[in-house]
Amino acid sequence: MEAKLKNESVNRVILEAEHIDFSYDNGYKVFENINLEADTGKFIAIIGPSGIGKSTLLRILGGFLKPDSGKIKLMGKQLYEPTPEVALIHQSIVTFPWMTAEENVMLSMKTKDMSHDEMAEKAKVSLSRVGLEGFEDLYPKEMSGGMRQRVAIARAFAADPHVFLMDEPFAHLDELTAEGLRQDIYNILFSGETPLKSVIMVSHNLTEVLELADEIYILNNMPASIIGRVAVTMQRPRNPRSDEFNSNLDMLYGYLTPPRNKR
Amino acid sequence: MNELLLIVLGVLATAIQVIILVILSIISGWFLAYASIKSKIFENIYIIFIEIFESVPVITFFPVVLIIFITRIGGPLGTQLATDFLVFTAVVWNIWMGEYQAFKTVPNEMVEVTQNSGFGLFSKLRYLYIPFSIPRIAANLFPSVSDGFFYITVSEVFTVGIHSYQTFGVGSVLDTFVADANLHAIYLTLLVLGIVIVGVVLILREFSRYAVSKYTLDTDVPILKRGRSNIKETTRIFAAISKNPLSRLSRYYKYRENERHEEKYEKREKKKKYYRYVYGAVAILLLILILYESVLLALSVKIDEWHILFNRTGYLLYSLGYDYLRVLIILLVSMLIAIFLGYYLAVHKRAEFFGIPIIQTLSAYPAPIYFPFLFILTEPYIIGVFGGFTNELYVLFLGFVSTFYYVLYAFWMGVKAMPSEYWEITKNLKLGFFKKMRKVILPSTFPYLISGISSTINSAWGGLMIGEYWPDIYGTHSLEIHTGLMKTIDLATANGNIALAAWGSLIFGIIVAIYSVAFTRRMMDVAQKKYVAEEGVYSS
Repeated sequence: MEAKLKNESVNRVILEAEHIDFSYDNGYKVFENINLEADTGKFIAIIGPSGIGKSTLLRILGGFLKPDSGKIKLMGKQLYEPTPEVALIHQSIVTFPWMTAEENVMLSMKTKDMSHDEMAEKAKVSLSRVGLEGFEDLYPKEMSGGMRQRVAIARAFAADPHVFLMDEPFAHLDELTAEGLRQDIYNILFSGETPLKSVIMVSHNLTEVLELADEIYILNNMPASIIGRVAVTMQRPRNPRSDEFNSNLDMLYGYLTPPRNKR
Repeated sequence: MNELLLIVLGVLATAIQVIILVILSIISGWFLAYASIKSKIFENIYIIFIEIFESVPVITFFPVVLIIFITRIGGPLGTQLATDFLVFTAVVWNIWMGEYQAFKTVPNEMVEVTQNSGFGLFSKLRYLYIPFSIPRIAANLFPSVSDGFFYITVSEVFTVGIHSYQTFGVGSVLDTFVADANLHAIYLTLLVLGIVIVGVVLILREFSRYAVSKYTLDTDVPILKRGRSNIKETTRIFAAISKNPLSRLSRYYKYRENERHEEKYEKREKKKKYYRYVYGAVAILLLILILYESVLLALSVKIDEWHILFNRTGYLLYSLGYDYLRVLIILLVSMLIAIFLGYYLAVHKRAEFFGIPIIQTLSAYPAPIYFPFLFILTEPYIIGVFGGFTNELYVLFLGFVSTFYYVLYAFWMGVKAMPSEYWEITKNLKLGFFKKMRKVILPSTFPYLISGISSTINSAWGGLMIGEYWPDIYGTHSLEIHTGLMKTIDLATANGNIALAAWGSLIFGIIVAIYSVAFTRRMMDVAQKKYVAEEGVYSS
């Protein structure tokens, strides 16, 4: 299914960043001339040292922050503000504690022209897609961290997004839960059952990045710019113990030397 | 009318008024809090306004408010509205401040989820901001309802000069029974009021439990104080530049679509800016209105009267010094009790289980209602022991019972919120009670204590205002102390000298506001920087 999807729409750019410059309110320049493309069927990863601005870049890509200059385009149209077509999944697990799992998922459909029953039905489908069938009436407090993150992902799915922006989505989970969720998410992402076309993930976990990504953008320097773009050609499923995997890992480590200050 | 029915109706009228006014302050607070997170101008004016009025006891400016309502509206409606205004201003600040703080601390990630779903104002309020503010509202409900009962019973019967104003409620019903010396009815009223207050306390406790269990954050979303939006306004960039005419033509349709999208975006941005200006304009308009009314009030006082008022300012400040001394004594006694009793309740579950509801009920039971009866019963014995100091002692007692709960609660909550690791360290080091208190408990509960001290001081003024000059507390016997600003304001009100009462209130308001800014806020800053983690400060 995955291969089919990729072959159908090779090289069609879904989300792109063109010449992005961005500074904080205090004048500190974070990015200089960032260019990025997310093609159909591609899992893109952005890596870089801590504090380089990976999460900020993700928010610019989602329209949550406006760049000083440059454009973000979603399927050719300029993106000016957040839209349900580009769903952001946070590093912190964001569920609304006063809502059940189903209500949490229904939240992303509230602005759509749907009846309550339609929303509930779709929420159930989304929850079952992330393995939470039968847990619809549970409150987040009654769930584990992994389950809550699945609820957040189901909520994002329910909005029928074209792009997923994932900000270190497995960082708050233990390694075993994260591993299971990673595989599940990857399988769902490109199953073809959803309108999802591309994923952009930020992570500092290089093993995770190599396991999932088709393409890796490397951020470094101050202000940050893309210093490398690596296509990951390893066959799936990828074995983190293989020599090929480790040589790729070494290559990524090579890029991530401490940032060099231009100023 | 049947006596019992009259009592029940009176108590219900009072309780329902308090509840309606609390609900009104909650609803208005949501919109004001939302306006203040959207507009910096609005936020600045709003917060200064809250901080000043939160620290000035409402009862001190009641005579002026009453006169404004009587002269502008008149009749029973004017009196009723004046009472409601007084109670509203008694309950509203805690709740408004709590809601504002809740809205300001909504995690950015949750806001982003609502942005991602394209929510408008009402959806954001409904699904995010209002639920997020519920625990803070629950935390502030109890003191607000207590204050509401305290001030409504006082304001139901009020005398300015030769005029007496009344509204229907437990205060006025009780006043009638006292005038008739109907002891049976008096006891029955106190009992019915007690039952209703116990009911209210139980409901509030259940609500607090429910609010905490359902609405507090369960996630690891960081609760960080969210500043105003960092989003920089940037100029629109859209220029279809292409040198090739054919390519331009082929992309024409796409650009047309983009232009439409861009137009929509521009319109939305303009709308957002427009709302920001509206919020700012509303705040400025309110400020101008208040200033205008103040100037009108000032101009209505003749020049000669101003001379008299200025000449009396020295004495007013001197009297205020006396009152600060009283507040200090009340505070020290309250703190002493709070530290021992609060600690005991926090570490003994059984005592806490019974003690806290009893204390909550007592604190919600308005002291001005039962105080005269306590006075009648005890005065003959107290005067034998304390002689000429008796009245002073009663005023201090009234101030104390009106307020000591705040610091007790604050300290109790602080001890309860102490991390278990701290307790383990005290056990590990085998620290004795006083050392443990000095080295661990007091520093770690410092923000709670400051918050409690601030509320205790603010509420002590209400007790002093009522107690320092209480004419005919029973029969022809009056409770009166020698010197005090509250007494001066009371006397001026009773004599119909509204100018002096207003001037005294104004001076008092200025001093209290300065004190609040210079002391309370500084202490909170110290607490935030030095003594506790960020989230502890917010929860306190």
